[in-house]
Amino acid sequence: MIEGSGEVEMPTVETASEAAVEKSEVRSLAEWITLTISSLVLLLVVGLVLYDWQISKNLPPAFQVEVSETTQLIEGQYYVPFTLKNTGGRIARTVQVIAELDLPDGDEETGEQQFDFLSGNERKQGGFVFEHDPQTGDLVVRVASFGLP
Amino acid sequence: MWVAELQAIMRAAAGSFLFGIPLLYTVEVWAIGSSTNALRLLIVQAVTFVVVLLLTQIEGFRRSLSIKPLETVLESIEALGIGIICAAIALLLLRRITLETPLSEALGKLIFEGVPFSLGVTLARSTLERRKPQQRRTLDAELGLSLNLRSTLRKTGQKSVGSALGNTLVDIDVTLIGAIVIAFSIAPTEEIAIIAAGMPPWWLLVVMGASLVISYIIVFASGFTDRAERTQRGLLLSPITETLLAYIVVLAASTLMLVFFQQLSSNDPWQEWLGNVIVLGLPASVGGAAGRILA
Repeated sequence: MIEGSGEVEMPTVETASEAAVEKSEVRSLAEWITLTISSLVLLLVVGLVLYDWQISKNLPPAFQVEVSETTQLIEGQYYVPFTLKNTGGRIARTVQVIAELDLPDGDEETGEQQFDFLSGNERKQGGFVFEHDPQTGDLVVRVASFGLP
Repeated sequence: MWVAELQAIMRAAAGSFLFGIPLLYTVEVWAIGSSTNALRLLIVQAVTFVVVLLLTQIEGFRRSLSIKPLETVLESIEALGIGIICAAIALLLLRRITLETPLSEALGKLIFEGVPFSLGVTLARSTLERRKPQQRRTLDAELGLSLNLRSTLRKTGQKSVGSALGNTLVDIDVTLIGAIVIAFSIAPTEEIAIIAAGMPPWWLLVVMGASLVISYIIVFASGFTDRAERTQRGLLLSPITETLLAYIVVLAASTLMLVFFQQLSSNDPWQEWLGNVIVLGLPASVGGAAGRILA
């Protein structure tokens, strides 16, 4: 059976395909079910994209950083967890969070963390580690920069 | 009926995973998916549908070797559906999509990973089934618009020219499929840009030369195919011409793949386009050559 080669003449093609496909001429019930489920999956995905498009619109990214109260002391170092949330609509890349701890004696400790992708309404968690107790000084955690995709 | 259909679905899923897995383990694809906006996602899905629709004319996951135009549309929808389900399973399995993943990111990853999985479904028969040479699907073109050039040619009645041209077109589309199979999982990676950036302009000519030589060796000099048989077929294709023509097809495919994965945009200078396309053209022409000897 040589098909699609172009060398064959019309009648040969027809007999060959007839032999090969009796059943595929008519879709069976099973095939219709496959088609129905596939269409539903596709419609669902496209529908969700449209829905997401509607809710996110083109609001620029905006950030909110919450520093947890529960600082943990582990082996002489202070762990300060934080949560970063994109309260805007669009996705931001490389969101840079920095922490500055100003101590009473004039010393300063800093930390920096970067998040690769932060979609609209997404939350990501991280932590800063300090040598000194953040309670004794003035701790500022903020988003310093971000990129757009 | 049920067993046959289940087998067809399993065949589809097998092809899907076979083709989709390399891109599943590529961080760039998740990143591209995550950061693409809704409109572009819809365009990507639409382009995938068109490509799958074109491939379904000659390939597919069902056993039928002849297909009506309407049926290709329905089978394409099935291919996309099965592809997306397989991609979703794989992404969930690897925890690239979890309950915490925001909707837009999950959709982006799903749609981008769904592309190779859907193509895999369509190519299932040709990649997984042992078959006689040139046992390809044909479209019953009488019924409507013919996207399949070969069936149109066959109808023109110019048999001698038609058949030679037909063979050439077979060679072109197997070249395309081969190039896509190999280069699709390379196109989204950063390595393309890194390699291209590290080359002086004249070096690109060396890469072009190498692509042509490797492609020539695979098809004509390695003894994988019967040379006599090959030279009989084809329109005006001496080995050199065929190699050149295939390379042009491969470069076009490379360009499309790079644009598809947003590696190239209208903001990039043309030098970057040129470099990236030629660098991706090397693996793509290897794939294209392999496609031609296997077809």
